[in-house]
Parts: sequence; structure tokens; C-alpha cells
Amino acid sequence: MTITVKKVSLKRTASDQIYLPAILKGLVTTARHFFKNTLTKGMGDVDTIRYGEPDVNVEDYYPQRFRGVHRLMHRDDGSVRCVACMCCSTVCPARCIYIEAEDRGGDEEKAPKSFVIDELKCVVCGFCVEACPCDAIRMDTKAHMHPTETRADAVLGKLDLMKRGTQSVAHQGGVGADFRTAAPKADPRFEHDPR
Amino acid sequence: MADTTPPKRSRSSATIPPLAPEPPPPMSVPHSGPIPVAMGPDLSPVDAPAPHAPNLPAEPIEGEDAVSMTIDGEVVVVRKGTNVLEAAKRLGEDVSHFCYHRGLSIAASCRQCLVEVEGMGKLQPSCQLAVQDDMVVHTKNDRVAQARQDMLEFTLKNHPIDCPICDKAGECTLQRHYMDHDQSLTRVDVAKIRKPKHKDIGREIVLDAERCILCSRCVRFCEELPQTGELTMIRRGDREILDIADGHRLDNAYSINVVDICPVGALTSKDFRFAVRAWELRATETTCPGCATGCSVELHSKHEQAYRLVPRFDASVNGHWMCDEGRYTYKELDPATRTRFASIDGRQLPIAQALAATAKRLQGKKTAAVFSSTATNEANRALAALADHMGADRFVLGRPPGKADDLLRDADKNPNTRGAHAAAGEVRHEAELSLQIAGRAYEAVIFLDDEGEVSGVVRSSLSSLTSVILSDRRNALSDACTIRLPAASWAEHVGTYTNRQGRLRVIRPAWRPEDDRHPRAELVRELLLALGGRDIGTAREQARAVAEEYEHEELLALLTDPQPTRPRLLRFGNSRG
Ligand code: SF4
Ligand code: SF4
Ligand code: SF4
Ligand code: SF4
Ligand code: FES
Repeated sequence: MTITVKKVSLKRTASDQIYLPAILKGLVTTARHFFKNTLTKGMGDVDTIRYGEPDVNVEDYYPQRFRGVHRLMHRDDGSVRCVACMCCSTVCPARCIYIEAEDRGGDEEKAPKSFVIDELKCVVCGFCVEACPCDAIRMDTKAHMHPTETRADAVLGKLDLMKRGTQSVAHQGGVGADFRTAAPKADPRFEHDPR
Repeated sequence: MADTTPPKRSRSSATIPPLAPEPPPPMSVPHSGPIPVAMGPDLSPVDAPAPHAPNLPAEPIEGEDAVSMTIDGEVVVVRKGTNVLEAAKRLGEDVSHFCYHRGLSIAASCRQCLVEVEGMGKLQPSCQLAVQDDMVVHTKNDRVAQARQDMLEFTLKNHPIDCPICDKAGECTLQRHYMDHDQSLTRVDVAKIRKPKHKDIGREIVLDAERCILCSRCVRFCEELPQTGELTMIRRGDREILDIADGHRLDNAYSINVVDICPVGALTSKDFRFAVRAWELRATETTCPGCATGCSVELHSKHEQAYRLVPRFDASVNGHWMCDEGRYTYKELDPATRTRFASIDGRQLPIAQALAATAKRLQGKKTAAVFSSTATNEANRALAALADHMGADRFVLGRPPGKADDLLRDADKNPNTRGAHAAAGEVRHEAELSLQIAGRAYEAVIFLDDEGEVSGVVRSSLSSLTSVILSDRRNALSDACTIRLPAASWAEHVGTYTNRQGRLRVIRPAWRPEDDRHPRAELVRELLLALGGRDIGTAREQARAVAEEYEHEELLALLTDPQPTRPRLLRFGNSRG
């Protein structure tokens, strides 16, 4: 292989050295775009979303799978859908989900006693949503994490997360026979307790 | 209940391991009177019962008993009577199995371990099949693989597969076998049979009958080890469930072992239930500090917090098992009660200052050195050097005796009674300590550990003398002392105990000691140096001396290359049970 060498002159001219012509050139470019975009109807080639203006709906501009601030979904009875399996906290690359489990009572057994997400640490990757086996955690709120006055305010607890949530209609247990609802109740003879 | 059985273990002196130093003879107390004259614990080495392990791993062998056979085209020579499953394991083939366990009798009920034997028409359960000369076995061909997959599909037919809420997930044998041998989607399109989901069957155990794969390991355990037989199978076919026998509860002193041997999450321990996921834990191989037996255990911890102890196989001490009482010794490691900083008269000080101030106060005082049968050999030896230097009187303090039985538990609830007495040499009786302290016979006292029962009167008199305690956690005794030095607990440093058999038991660190905590041996060394004594070496050097004395190769290797001391993430530890 032949190596070609390109020689570049590093010699600076007098106009380079006093900087002013280059600064002026830059200012002219900025001014040209400013006047073009301000005076042209339809905003020229700028595509700025005007947050906060009454006729602008931010959601229109977002892609379908935009990942916003988290929410926790509900069951039919309004309790939290999460079963505290820790799949999300295990997969989370930012380690920002902290869950403590408790006994729910009943056949689902497990529920989160506390469920905390530190939104400041979150890198908005969406892995937690992918990992969740029961559609309990979602990022489909189409909302950014709003600015907060203190760091502690950006740490969302179970109630904060559930406030944004709604009832999920996802089928627990995936496709196929739903043995939980279709199955007969436990044989009453099994309930026999010798004590 | 097994708990109430009186100690029956024979204490013959037949089998003292050759390397154990002779324990000191029982001491006599210089003056009689109100002091009980029963002197010191009985330190004769204990002929501990051989742990029940009917199926040991196959060892290389020659001679009459040797049987030569072919497994997957490789020749293997094993002892007559070995089963094919263990023989295959010698070649590194892990034949999948559920019901077979090395520590239990063989039931051959799960049929997961089927292998093909040339000349036998049907597939054979390898766990039950004894090796024969010139046997030709296939453990991996298509027929066997198909059988394994079919058995798994059958096992999973009514299995709830609620891994997300199952405490065994991450260390579940069924999960592992599914990943290794099945990996197919379910073909079940009928409703699954429902069974009781959580049934409280004992002091420690909750049963989920749906998850049970009816391997009967737990039933055999209760029949063979504690011999209480609380568990049984009832009904037949797909309605068969595990249950407790009428009028019983699973309340024996070894009940949590069934959680370890259960290949699935059917039996869960109330203490560990929902506490943490198995894959978040790190395992440290260490020794249970619960009694003089010194069972080999793994400490499972996360973020400097311990979550459970599980037994680790040790043929010479505990076999595959440990007692329920010992499992709870991890509660001592509660971060909330840890002593983190030195304090003198209630004022917190940096450790260096505290040590200097302590040495100053101890200088020239009439001192009692209280050795501890819960502290390590190194700590006790270091204190012996300090006591020599100061001319202090010696006592040994430990936990009060508790329940014992024939299986593992010892009445002496201290892990290192032998080691402490060997290090302390001639000691005065424990009861005398209280009298002397209450009677102001000493100006200073040094407690090596915060375990042991001391009466309220003594505790109140401790505040008026220079009482130094090397404490790893806050309790009544450590709070009563005027000088508290923060010591590393048994989960924070390398050390050794000498168990009732005279064997050296090694403890390893699960995490670094936090804040100002240091191993006791190190704190005592610093005190000794500050008092102008000789240098007895760092805790590690002292441990090395002990290891050399006992010619303990594992510990020597550990001190040379600290790599194996690092805890292992359970995620890569594969399944238990
Ligand atoms: S989006 Fe990613 S970083 Fe944020 S909580 Fe979920 S898994 Fe963690
Ligand atoms: S993965 Fe889903 S169910 Fe599991 S802990 Fe996270 S939110 Fe809860
Ligand atoms: S026993 Fe194993 S396979 Fe069954 S639910 Fe528990 S983790 Fe999953
Ligand atoms: S509870 Fe566990 S150990 Fe007992 S029979 Fe069922 S699967 Fe086997
Ligand atoms: S392990 Fe052989 S039949 Fe269960």
C-alpha cells in the first residue's frame, strides 16, 4: 500500500490573525438566518414546536413509542399490578428502581411495599418496560419528567407512579390457556386442614 | 418436638484429629465459697456423629471394588455400588435429575435422569442403577434427550410457572433443566389443576402445592434426618399433593433444610420469603457461628446486609445440612445495630485517638482480660499476648448453653470454646468475673466480644471502671462499657474457630468492615503496641500462623491468594436443591 501525504499549510495570514473578518462573517450568517426566518411567512426552514401555546399539542409531534415518565398500572380492583418480581430493577442499567416486596395475601402473593424510581438517574432506555412480565410499568405517558425544585422531588414513589396509571387490560400470563381464570377453583378437598 | 430431646451425644475421646492442639485441662478456682466449683466446659474432643450422606461423589479407585464401564464412549472406573448418575458426574456429565439427592435415600420417582443402557430395552433411571462391569451407557443421545424433554413437559403440565413471584427463581432446578433440555412452548390448552397456593405448614415453612413436582425429597428428609416424618404425599395422579401428616406441623429443628433441597419453589422459608431475589445475592463460604459444631455454610448477602445462611457440603462436619437455629445467626449482622465508631464515655472518637486514649487509661491498672468463645482464634491469641504483657487475670465468656441433639446441634452455643480456652490458658471461672467486677476487684476490664450474659449489677458497676469492649454490635453489655471499640463481625474478616472436634473452621469476609471497624486481633495488636508490648502481627499474619500450625492448606491458600475470598454472585452459582 502506498501512503499518500497531503501537505497542509498552517501559515496564518494577517487577516486570520486579527480574527475580526471571521467574526464579522459569522455575524452576517447569523443575521441572515435571523431575518430570513423572522420575516418569511411559515417560519422558513425552522421546525420549532411551540410548547405551551394553546393550539399546540406536544403529543402530535412525538413518535408512537416515545418514552416518557414512568407510570404503574392498576388491576381491576385498583391495586397495583406490579408483583415485585424485580425484573425491572434487575435489568435497569442505571440501577434507579428500588423495590421492597410484601405479601399481598391471596394467590398473587407478592406486591411491592414500596416502589421508587429516581427519575434523575433514569436514562430513559425503556428496558424496565420490556422486562416487566405483567404490564405493570409503562413509559407511555407522553410526558417529560417536569423540572423539580429539589432532587428529592424527582424521586417518584409508588403512589406518584400509580396516580398516572390506569387499569391495564393486558392478559396476565400471556397467550394460551388462561389457567388462572379458566381453571376450576382449587378442589375443596384440598382445603382440608387437619389442624 | 425434637427440640426437647436432651443432649445424648457421646463424648468419647476416641477420634481427636491429630493436628488439634491439646485443650487445657479444666481449671480449679483458687477460692471456694459461693462460687460454683464446676470448672470450665468439658473440652474433650467430641466424637461427632458421621453426617448422613449415603451417596458420596464417585472417587477414582483401583482394586477389587473397581468397576469399569463406558459412558458416552469414555471409560470410567468407579467403586462397586456407585450409581450411574454419579459415575457420569465423574466424567463431567450432569445428568438432569430432580428426586435424587446425595444426602438422601434414592426414590427414583421423577424419571428425569433416564439414560440408555445397551442391552436393556427401556431407558433406565440412572440414579437407581448401580454400575456393572462392561456396562455401556449413553447419557446424551437423541433418545435420551427426547425422554428428558418429554419428562420436563410432563412435569410442567400443571406447574404454575409463576417464576416472577417465586422465591426459587434464579436458583430453581426446574428452570435450569428447562433452559438446558426443553426450551419449547407449552402445548397445554386445558385448564391446569389448581392446588393450595400458600399453606402455612410449620414454624418456618410455607408450602405452595402447585409448584411442587412431587419429587419427595422433603418427605425423605423428614423421615431420614430428624426422623420426625411430618410430611407425606396424599391423593393420586394429577391431584397428588404434598401435605403435613394429620395433627402435625413441620416443626422439627432442621426444617429449613427442606427449602434448600426442594428443587422448585414449593417450600419457602418464612424468614427469606420475598426478602430479596436470589440473583441479587452474593455467596461467601464461611462457618456458622451458632454452636460448637461449626457447620460449613454460605452467607448470602447484598449491599453489606446478610439475608440468609445456607449449608455447604462438608463430609467431616455437617454433611449437607444445618439447623434452623444456626440460620438465624445472620441476624446479628443487622446493619442497624452495628458499632461503627469508637466511643469513650459516650463521646465518639476517631479510632487512632480512641486506641491511644484507651492504652493510656489501661496503663498500670489491675486488669481482667475476658476472652470470648465467640471470637476467633486470632483474636483470643492476641488478647493472650496482651494479658501476658499486662499481667491481667483471665476469664472466658460466651453465650449460655442451649439445646442439643444427636444430629448437629451442640449444647455449647459458642463456635470457638476450644480455641478460646486453648489461647487463654489458665482461666478463672466465669461466675467469679461477676463477683470480682461487682466487688471492685479490678480497675479495668477488657471484653473481647459482646456476647455472653452479664447481670445487671455487673453492668452497672462497669460504668465506674475502665471497661473496654471490642464490640461489633450494640447490646446491653456493649452499652454498659465506658470504652467501646468498633470490631469487625464474623462476616467481615478472615479468621478461624476451633470446633468441638478440634477442627479448624474458617470464616471469610462477605464485605469489607465499614467505617472504623477492624478485626479484633488488629485492635488488640494496636493496644498492645500502644502499651509498649511486642508486635504480634496483623490479623492476617496471625491467621497465617494459625493456618501453619494446623497445616490447613485451604486457609493458607486463601491468605496467599485472596481471590477466592471474594464473594461470588449467586447469579453465576447455578441452582441449589
Ligand atoms: S427507563 Fe431504563 S434507566 Fe429508566 S428506570 Fe427504566 S430501565 Fe431504568
Ligand atoms: S418488572 Fe413489572 S412486575 Fe416486576 S417489579 Fe418491575 S414493575 Fe413490578
Ligand atoms: S419453581 Fe422454578 S419454574 Fe416453578 S415458578 Fe418457581 S422458579 Fe419458576
Ligand atoms: S415440596 Fe419440593 S422437595 Fe417436596 S416433594 Fe415437592 S418439589 Fe419435592
Ligand atoms: S433423579 Fe432419578 S428418577 Fe428422579
